[in-house]
Amino acid sequence: MIISISAPTKLESSEKTVGASIVTPGELITDDPTWMRGHGTYFLNDKTYSSVAGSVLKVNKLLSVVPFKGRYSPETGDHLVGRIVEVGQKRWKVDIGGEHDAVLMLGSVNLPGGILRRKSESDELQMRSFLKEGDLLNAEVQSLFSDGSASLHTRSLKYGKLRNGVFVRVPANLIVRAKNHSHNLPGNVSVILGVNGYCWIYKSSSAASSADHSASTNRTAAEMSSSASGKYQPGQGSVSITRLEQESSWDIYSDKNDKLSTNIKDTISRYKNCLLSLSQCNIGINEVRLVRAYEISLGYGDTNILVREDIRKSIGEQVIFQEKMRGTG
Amino acid sequence: MVRDYDISNNERQFVLQALEQNVRLDGRKLLEMRDVDIFVSPDEYGYVEISLGKTKVACRVTAEIAKPYEDRPFDGIFQISTEISPICSPFFESGLTSGGKQSNDEVLISRLIEKAVRRSGALDLESLCIIAGSKCWSIRADLHFLNYDGNFIDISSIAVMVALLHFRKPDMEIDGNNVILFDQDQRNPVPLSILHIPLCFTFQFYNPNDDEENIKGNLNNELILLDASLIEERLSLGSMTLTINKNKELCQLVKSGGLNIDASLIMNCCQHASNLVDDLTKKINSVLKHDAHLRENPLEKELQVVNQRDT
Amino acid sequence: MSRLELYSPEGLRVDGRRWNELRRFECRTNTHPHAADGSAYVQQGNSKILCLVKGPMEHGANLAAGTKLDANGPVLSITINYPPFAANDRKKRQKNDRRLQEISIILKRCFMKTIVLKNYSRTVIDISLTVLAMDGGLLACFCNAITLALIDAGISLYDYVSAISIGLFDQTPLLDMNTLEESDLSFVTIGVVGDSDKLNLMLCEDKIPLDKLERLISLGIEGCHRVKQLMDHQMRVAGQELQERQ
Repeated sequence: MIISISAPTKLESSEKTVGASIVTPGELITDDPTWMRGHGTYFLNDKTYSSVAGSVLKVNKLLSVVPFKGRYSPETGDHLVGRIVEVGQKRWKVDIGGEHDAVLMLGSVNLPGGILRRKSESDELQMRSFLKEGDLLNAEVQSLFSDGSASLHTRSLKYGKLRNGVFVRVPANLIVRAKNHSHNLPGNVSVILGVNGYCWIYKSSSAASSADHSASTNRTAAEMSSSASGKYQPGQGSVSITRLEQESSWDIYSDKNDKLSTNIKDTISRYKNCLLSLSQCNIGINEVRLVRAYEISLGYGDTNILVREDIRKSIGEQVIFQEKMRGTG
Repeated sequence: MVRDYDISNNERQFVLQALEQNVRLDGRKLLEMRDVDIFVSPDEYGYVEISLGKTKVACRVTAEIAKPYEDRPFDGIFQISTEISPICSPFFESGLTSGGKQSNDEVLISRLIEKAVRRSGALDLESLCIIAGSKCWSIRADLHFLNYDGNFIDISSIAVMVALLHFRKPDMEIDGNNVILFDQDQRNPVPLSILHIPLCFTFQFYNPNDDEENIKGNLNNELILLDASLIEERLSLGSMTLTINKNKELCQLVKSGGLNIDASLIMNCCQHASNLVDDLTKKINSVLKHDAHLRENPLEKELQVVNQRDT
Repeated sequence: MSRLELYSPEGLRVDGRRWNELRRFECRTNTHPHAADGSAYVQQGNSKILCLVKGPMEHGANLAAGTKLDANGPVLSITINYPPFAANDRKKRQKNDRRLQEISIILKRCFMKTIVLKNYSRTVIDISLTVLAMDGGLLACFCNAITLALIDAGISLYDYVSAISIGLFDQTPLLDMNTLEESDLSFVTIGVVGDSDKLNLMLCEDKIPLDKLERLISLGIEGCHRVKQLMDHQMRVAGQELQERQ
């Protein structure tokens, strides 16, 4: 039986008009058996098919498909923000927005009393007093298990429990991987752009803020990080072990927020809205763009107005526009 | 379901390998049904017990007079109740302990029976109307699952249909707005008006290859089984139930996901089922005929025997 | 409406289509980028469906208590939200509506064979479907919407599953039925994998003569392939846009 199907929707030319490297599930990528099959593919006999919608990535002889979107999949060394969901035997389970929860072993955190301290059984019993369900922390991926889930550590002063700020979640693929993911921003506010899309905007700690007042926005991230040396700031190389011991007192696990002035709160929420503007417009997020969005948003006046969708959209557009202008000029 | 039927890896492999060589554990061919054993109650109307191998169900049909639904004043009421209790197998939970929530299998079985028998119009609902809008017969079929060795759906459809065919409702007369019912001794009870006999056939699918072959390959050598036993049902990767009557009308068909099967194989299954439905319908009719024959009161029976000799 | 008006002697249906024409098929993905990992909107004629996919993740919000995570693959949970305003009859559906329960089981089994299971052990994939408007083809729309939302969520699928309903008017098969046609004619819903002739799901609830079935299925497969093309095109366009942005 021959059937001609006609549909009212017209299909503008065939797939050839769109990028050739884009593949969709079930599509034949190659029938060359010499390729090694990586993520996002499956094969039958010699033929390799795509299993996700994304772009083909060829590295040497490895063929994989990188999906356009997807859950965050952790990699060793990623700086991320997570939330404790479970306290278990010698470990915490941490929601990092990935397919699996990450684990944070009791042995991979700094406990009050310094880095060289032995972990005792009493520490095991009072785990909940360090970190309990619902606490946010920033940490680094230490290693990966075979099923792709991650093991975290907070063995540095820049990692640990988060306070004095707000949590923002953006799609993980929007965070541009960089050398450094914690930044001091103008307005006495700092941000951690977790690689997993979980971000934390908070009041800069006092030591960092003094250095920050003079900081111009055009400084590179590396410069910024070296100047910041507060409790939660990087620069662990310059901290002696004795100092570390002093810092690692109970207050790194404190649940109490400092007193935040209305001014700071306003700035934090402005940054939050800027972050959401960028995410709404699907713009890759880094420090420079965030600061630019913040500067643009100041032109709109009151923070309240930033919740409007059209304003957010125009902020995003202006960020892109400015970038283009500077890129060419 | 309390706990799934655990099959060890060895057993799984053994059964699947045997299937690939067209051998089933009970010696049947792949597309062969188990023998259907039909028992109809000799002293009451509307009670039957059906067994298919070790799977066994009982069905009782009852009737009462009720008020028809407001949106359907000219139709009678027909309900099928299918509750699977732990009597038939520990894999099923009783309604009390599971908080009335049914497992997936239970939902599917009851929906299927509902669609196969009720929706396909096997029972003529209009004939159940007594006085439009105020009185009608309400027929209820209660399925009781007695033992579980796979394939509840097919056996349930047989049980409900045989029970409906076997059932007789009391004769009655309408006097204005009053209904007079007659006892069995006064007048012979009357059978229900059954329009056709839909029967279910469940096919199970197995894949001797990988998932990739099933999706992209063109071998189409998936194994197809009819009337699976418990262990076969548990190992199956997909199933399809179709309901058909001897007029070659498809009343209902559901292939709920599972293995991807080529359209031509599905057509073959339908064809196979349409061949089987004739035999099964004949068997049902002959059992009912035999029962009707025995039922006629002893005196008549004796007379009949004489008559038969005469002719 | 009388049965005769459903298909005129000139070969036109109530909405002016021919027997082998689809309704207007529109789809969009990533409609709710902040609420879910993957989302899709599908419109077939006047039927409008939203689908949100959350996961794969370790904690499912809609998971029944006591459900264990499976080491061999994900646990799919499908919830269907069919509000009274979505259809003409404005019927309020209970949470344990049998028909919707059945549909969700069918969809679950369908996609368990389509998702590349081995990549998602010990996870939950939460799919929620919302009917905005229903004008026929419930199961088919659900199936198409889930396919798109899963792809949008970046979940590995072996292939597209595209579905369509086909009705029978006397001798003529009619592609992509609307509510008017569905209420008076028998119809079959089929779901096809990719560009093959393999059926993943098939549902028929009314009487159909067996000898007509083959015609219905073959028309349905053609229709599904067409739907797949349209969905694929949309995916590529959306993918292109996403790529340009970053």
